[in-house]
Amino acid sequence: MNEEILAGLMQAIQLSSLMATGIGALLGLVVGMIPGLTISAGIIIVLPLTFVLSPAISIALLLGLYAGGMMGGSFSAILLNIPGTPSASATALDGYPLTVKGEAGRALGVSILASFVGGIFSFFCLYFIAPSLANLALEFRTQDLFSLVFFGLTVICSFAAKSLIKGLLSGVIGLIIVTVGQDPVMGTARFTFGDANMLSGIHFLTAMIGLFAIPQMMESLLEIRQVSNKPLPGAGFGRIFPKFSDLKAMRFPAAIGAFVGTFIGILPGAGGPIAAFISYDYAKKISSKPNEFGEGSVEGIAAPEAANNAVTGGALIPMMTLGIPGDPVTAILIGALLVHGLAPGPMLFLEQADFAYTIIFSFFIANVFNLLIAMAGLKFLVKVLSAPKSILLPTIALLCVIGSYALRNSFFDIYVMFFFGLIGIAMRWLKMPVVPLLLALVLGRQLEEHLRVSLTSSKGDISVFFTSPFSVLFLCLSLVSILWPFVIERRKKLATK
Amino acid sequence: MKKIRAVVLSLTIFTFLFASINLVQAAYPEKPIEFIIPFGAGGGADIEGRLLAKEMSKILGVPVVAINKPGAGGAVTYTYVKNAKPDGYTVAWNSTSILTVTNIGNVPYGHDAMTHVGRVEYQPMVFAVKSGGKWNSMKDFEADCKKNPNSLKVGNSSIGSATHIGAIAVANAIGCDVIHVPLGIKRRNAGLLSGETDAMIAPLTGAIKLAKAKKIMILSHLSAGTNPVVPDVPSMKSLGYDAELDLFRGLSVPKGTPAEVTAKLSDAMGKAAQSSAFMDMAKKNGFTVAPMDVATFEDYLERDNKVVKAIMEVAGLYQSKAKK
Repeated sequence: MNEEILAGLMQAIQLSSLMATGIGALLGLVVGMIPGLTISAGIIIVLPLTFVLSPAISIALLLGLYAGGMMGGSFSAILLNIPGTPSASATALDGYPLTVKGEAGRALGVSILASFVGGIFSFFCLYFIAPSLANLALEFRTQDLFSLVFFGLTVICSFAAKSLIKGLLSGVIGLIIVTVGQDPVMGTARFTFGDANMLSGIHFLTAMIGLFAIPQMMESLLEIRQVSNKPLPGAGFGRIFPKFSDLKAMRFPAAIGAFVGTFIGILPGAGGPIAAFISYDYAKKISSKPNEFGEGSVEGIAAPEAANNAVTGGALIPMMTLGIPGDPVTAILIGALLVHGLAPGPMLFLEQADFAYTIIFSFFIANVFNLLIAMAGLKFLVKVLSAPKSILLPTIALLCVIGSYALRNSFFDIYVMFFFGLIGIAMRWLKMPVVPLLLALVLGRQLEEHLRVSLTSSKGDISVFFTSPFSVLFLCLSLVSILWPFVIERRKKLATK
Repeated sequence: MKKIRAVVLSLTIFTFLFASINLVQAAYPEKPIEFIIPFGAGGGADIEGRLLAKEMSKILGVPVVAINKPGAGGAVTYTYVKNAKPDGYTVAWNSTSILTVTNIGNVPYGHDAMTHVGRVEYQPMVFAVKSGGKWNSMKDFEADCKKNPNSLKVGNSSIGSATHIGAIAVANAIGCDVIHVPLGIKRRNAGLLSGETDAMIAPLTGAIKLAKAKKIMILSHLSAGTNPVVPDVPSMKSLGYDAELDLFRGLSVPKGTPAEVTAKLSDAMGKAAQSSAFMDMAKKNGFTVAPMDVATFEDYLERDNKVVKAIMEVAGLYQSKAKK
């Protein structure tokens, strides 16, 4: 095993991999900073450009982007009070007040350092937990996988908390879309209308480019006329690296954030924004100066920042070991690995252990690069915030078209991408969440396949789902996951009464 | 400025016009050849196909550009190439899938709707069980299977795929029913290791790593003779069972491609297959390079097609939509 860890490390510290990670981190910081360009959208746009690279290098680039995006999102949150990514929303609460006070540098420094702490903590969790979890997952049979995927899908409920009907509807649309194409078990054609392009089904990455990038572009397009870019606060930030007193103050909040973030990252679906707010809340509860929260507390920046970066490493754990995405970004990473012919899941650690470790170490390097690039180049990086959208938007539009074509070299997929763009715009207008649809697209096919294969194998006996211990465990977790949002809702109502 | 642009533009147009006139007159090949790979990047078909395309570029003197058009078990690529201009500039990197997708009826034509340039390589499908289990030979498995009919589970890549056809052939040969579990390419090996299935049928290249690591044991294979990659594994034929079906890869072009073009392609294909780079890969990955020319390959396909069709008919999978 040691040999494979070493081989993975060597691959990750090759010059080309290092360069890719660095470029990824830089891109991520930029993408994260630009409000309206989420990390998912950024990764989707860059992904097709990585097809020409070798798998290890392209995954290094994407991981850099993932970690960088999480960090970059907080820069705009701190400087402009506009979170660059949803995960940075909690950071704005205390970051912006500090900027108003003229202490933007201090806020940015704390946020960068806390992000680094969170990222590195989650790396260690990934490094130690993933291989043993993969080993355990090797024991999973098809019926266990069905229940696991089912559990992954129940996360839809947590996204549907605002309107259950809309969330479920979005999920069901996704499940219907995955039935197009070849039947995963029998191989016969379904809903293809005799067209060979339809036979290969809707590729979820194509659909995602449309669903994520197009509506966002439309929205930004409308904003172009309304508001000119907010001016950046005064040119100098002063000292960026935190003072000793700040380091001392952020110690506990950052630890809480790192822990909560990693844990929430491991759970499928919850993701960055929730982790950030939960750890913000905890940090406030244990703080000796809770009244400073919201007024520009360093602790209030450290906790959510550590949390949202810790989510990244946490989310990689189920992605790599089970092939179940923890958040939209890891869903795209699964797609990226599949394009390169690598299937994330327990077999990855058995058959391509060196590559699995390359991913893990690249993630570590990505976090280090993040810290270095952010600390050294902060002053230049924030200039992106004043980049004119009239240049940005056409570039993104072009990359969307190239991306959807490059995926399978099929012109048909460009139409599919635009079609899903329209669906995305409609869903945004109806205030219907997109994430359930996405989850259904990623997991739907597996759900069907595992269900039918387990029934083929058991000769149609459904009791297999209730006799296998793993399967029962996942089904119980699903039940919790379905009921949880209702419990929280109930509590909130009781509290307001 | 505008004048210069106009001059440049017209010059470009002229160059293109002349270039295209030249193309019509010149001998094949005069421009890049599209080499379509029916499966995704990174898999066996892709890695082998890309290397062959590279070697063919050297021989033909024009770029042979490998392009993946994955989807529907190869149907997307075959349909694309079948409908392409029959000029030899669009070539499909085929495999046994050309017999399975046509016979299962996922495309409205048969394998003979295209012209086949030749075979490049083949590899056996292997029948493997977990190491350290109760079966050490096909006879053991047969005996156990006959004792408990219709209860042993054999994993394959998907229903109607070559591995499924192979599994049915094995079951027929040993004369005992098994449960065919379509675990999929990704889960087929994992399923055998976890004990979910009792045995599996896999391409040799997909099983050789685990076999070398002694995690699984290859009991037999479906080639006719001894396989050079696994010389000590007995073939089904040598054990007295009647089951034979190899996985092959080769080239196909649209019907109506001029014979001299096909011949030139076939020649380049054979030379590229025997290049040292390709032979090295074969040795490393476990397939056998054995080029076949146009005529031999057509006969070979015809024979294999009958085998696939017969097995599919018995299993109730045959739904060919080819016009008779």
